[in-house]
Amino acid sequence: MSLSRSPSPQPGGGWASPGLSSPFGEGSGTTTPRTGYRIHDGSSVSWESAKAKTEGVNGYPSFSTHNNGFFNRHYRKISSSLPRFNIGADKSYAEKEKLGRGRWSVRGGSRLARLRSMVRQANRKTKIRFLIGLGIFMLFLIYQMTPIRYWWRRSKALGGGKKFVIILAANQGGGVMEWKGPREWAIERDSIRNKKKYANRWGYDLEIVDMSTKKRYAHEWRESWEKVDTVRNCLRKYPDAEWFWWMDLNTFIMEPSYSLQSHIFNNLGTNTYRDINEYNPLNITHPFPSEHLDAEARSAVGDGKVSSINLVIPQDCSGFNLGSFFIRRSQWTDRLLDVWWDPVGYEQKHMEWEHKEQDALEFLYINQPWIRPHTAFIPQRKINSFPVGACSENGNDTRIHYNEKDRDFVVNMAGCEWGRDCWGEMYNFRELSYYLNRSLWERFKEDLVAVIWFKLTGQKVKL
Amino acid sequence: MHMAMPSRKSSTPRPYTPRSRGVPMLRRSRVQAIVLGLCALATLLFTISHIFGSSESIPSGTPPVVIITVLDTDHYSKAYLDTIKQNRNDYAKKHADLMLMLCYLDYATFFPETTDYDLAGAPSSWSRVPAVRHALTKFPHSTWFWFLEQNSLIMNPAMTVESSILDKVEGLMLKNHPVVPPDSVIKTFPHLKSHQVDLIVTQDNTGLAQGSFILRRGEWSKFFLDTWFDPLYRSYNFQKADAHALEHIVQWHPTILSKLVIIPQRTINAYIKGGPADESGLYKDGDFVIRFVGCETGGRDCIKEADQFSKQWRAVFDARS
Repeated sequence: MSLSRSPSPQPGGGWASPGLSSPFGEGSGTTTPRTGYRIHDGSSVSWESAKAKTEGVNGYPSFSTHNNGFFNRHYRKISSSLPRFNIGADKSYAEKEKLGRGRWSVRGGSRLARLRSMVRQANRKTKIRFLIGLGIFMLFLIYQMTPIRYWWRRSKALGGGKKFVIILAANQGGGVMEWKGPREWAIERDSIRNKKKYANRWGYDLEIVDMSTKKRYAHEWRESWEKVDTVRNCLRKYPDAEWFWWMDLNTFIMEPSYSLQSHIFNNLGTNTYRDINEYNPLNITHPFPSEHLDAEARSAVGDGKVSSINLVIPQDCSGFNLGSFFIRRSQWTDRLLDVWWDPVGYEQKHMEWEHKEQDALEFLYINQPWIRPHTAFIPQRKINSFPVGACSENGNDTRIHYNEKDRDFVVNMAGCEWGRDCWGEMYNFRELSYYLNRSLWERFKEDLVAVIWFKLTGQKVKL
Repeated sequence: MHMAMPSRKSSTPRPYTPRSRGVPMLRRSRVQAIVLGLCALATLLFTISHIFGSSESIPSGTPPVVIITVLDTDHYSKAYLDTIKQNRNDYAKKHADLMLMLCYLDYATFFPETTDYDLAGAPSSWSRVPAVRHALTKFPHSTWFWFLEQNSLIMNPAMTVESSILDKVEGLMLKNHPVVPPDSVIKTFPHLKSHQVDLIVTQDNTGLAQGSFILRRGEWSKFFLDTWFDPLYRSYNFQKADAHALEHIVQWHPTILSKLVIIPQRTINAYIKGGPADESGLYKDGDFVIRFVGCETGGRDCIKEADQFSKQWRAVFDARS
């Protein structure tokens, strides 16, 4: 059998058996024989001539430039598909594994070797096609799956995600006040992961704020009024950002495929309303009746320009809701953040203002005319849908409550810590969000294959 | 396709030079003419839009400074209030560019619907805040608003707000100066430029003097006045009502402090002898303004005190006209 090109347990390793060298083998583009120097000069092919021949074809591993005729070109294919006889000579482990000698191996060699031979055998056209396909796939990977997507979505020209910062208030009331149980940890973990994913997807910044009641606040006036400080810190930390989105921990972004730009800010004017009379649960007199104020303060819509909107808040059944709101970098915002908390107001009202900043803001809105022309309201279900448990006194309200058919953007489990099951609600909404945002393949499996299977066999199957 | 060599020229030369441009109409001279024409058109449109379009332009005859005085018709005689009005009016007439605005404390005549502005039982001195806000509305194009309390007289018609205060404010302002004397921790900003100044006040022995201050129109002025007028301050029973409320917001809110300058007292707020001021704050002849601070209490009589100076200001005013 001296005809056969020797099988080699080392893939691509060249001639494993010294005495058997093929007169044809060199032409089919093996790599330089690494074990070549061990060849005993018992054959007709000297090392020098083999090397020369190999070098002659080395640049063209897949096809021979020497037109050696049909048999020579296809000889290797034929032989390589045959079962191989493992002679195992000259192997270092031959001593250890004597039993392995002479065993039949089917297409010996690792997967890598097989792949390599496949590449060698493919023709040029196929290769180019494959490369193009691979290139497209790589581009897709690079731009859709990796951090690069994050960067291009952030950039001003392509996405503008840099203009948005999500501020997530984690660990509210925790710290010295109370220990967290496993459910609280689970809520926090899920909520943070949800926002992280969303921020990464669209190139926004996410600032997770530890709102735990610190010791330094525990006996101070400003206990748990940190919303203002936090927003101010973020203004400083993200100097490129324009809009800051405050989110409470008990919120869940149900539709991560909505970007803030397309969902709200590209059409801020039409997505918000300036005239509170459109939905006015607090019965605020609007606009101001006082005649000494200027026209802008007395107009129901301020100056009516989108550029003058600096604060976007939703209203629930009982007034403003600061569980999810937007605030924009501006001088006006600096002023608002500055006067939002005031010791004189605090001293008089802190027993009354259960919701702290929220009540204080309502008070400012009601009493200080400079606030109104720069505040806009957003329909609650745009950024802050409630589950049925919240605001449920008057039954289901289409302005307030989440509806999966409309694919609401964000759900806020407001007030779930007062006698409702926060973790249960969070879990349900998380699963619902996954269900609503299944990929095509998952839909195919679950809505078609599983259903057909159920009809055929009567068994429910999970794919 | 990449060629190693340029293509060969044809061996038979053409009888004319080929045109360098494809479009025959666009000769250089014509391009110039077209560009010039477009420029002229743009200029014309721009001018027209500025003449007819913009509503923001300042109408002629707008007073640059508005003086605001709130008159207390309940407690003072009409004759006295008339002298005060005349004083302001005469001063305003001397400077045709100044305008006078008089607000009566009796809001019933001025603000027909006072329900929101009955001050909720707070002292009547609070009325200066909505009065200035009202002036901002009434004179929508004026830049500076000078609030001057009723019990005071303008003594020197030669001085104007612009030339003696606004233009010199960078030199006049007290830098790094405690807001509340003698040793408040909160101090005025050391590096303010005149264009950053929105509020000019003075200080007497007791604190910030809110009887005479100058405010610049802008978003900030609305914010400032509305914050000052917050109902929670009015209901708080500050000992000196609006004066203490002003000190409070200046000290607690840096957005207010950063726009404020304190200038020497006598520039716009000289006191009559006996007022709560140092020697440097008491009135001397030639000062801009005299205020009869505290004349409404302690057995003093504002009308009498004003009388002493009435002849003086009339004489000075007449001499200059």
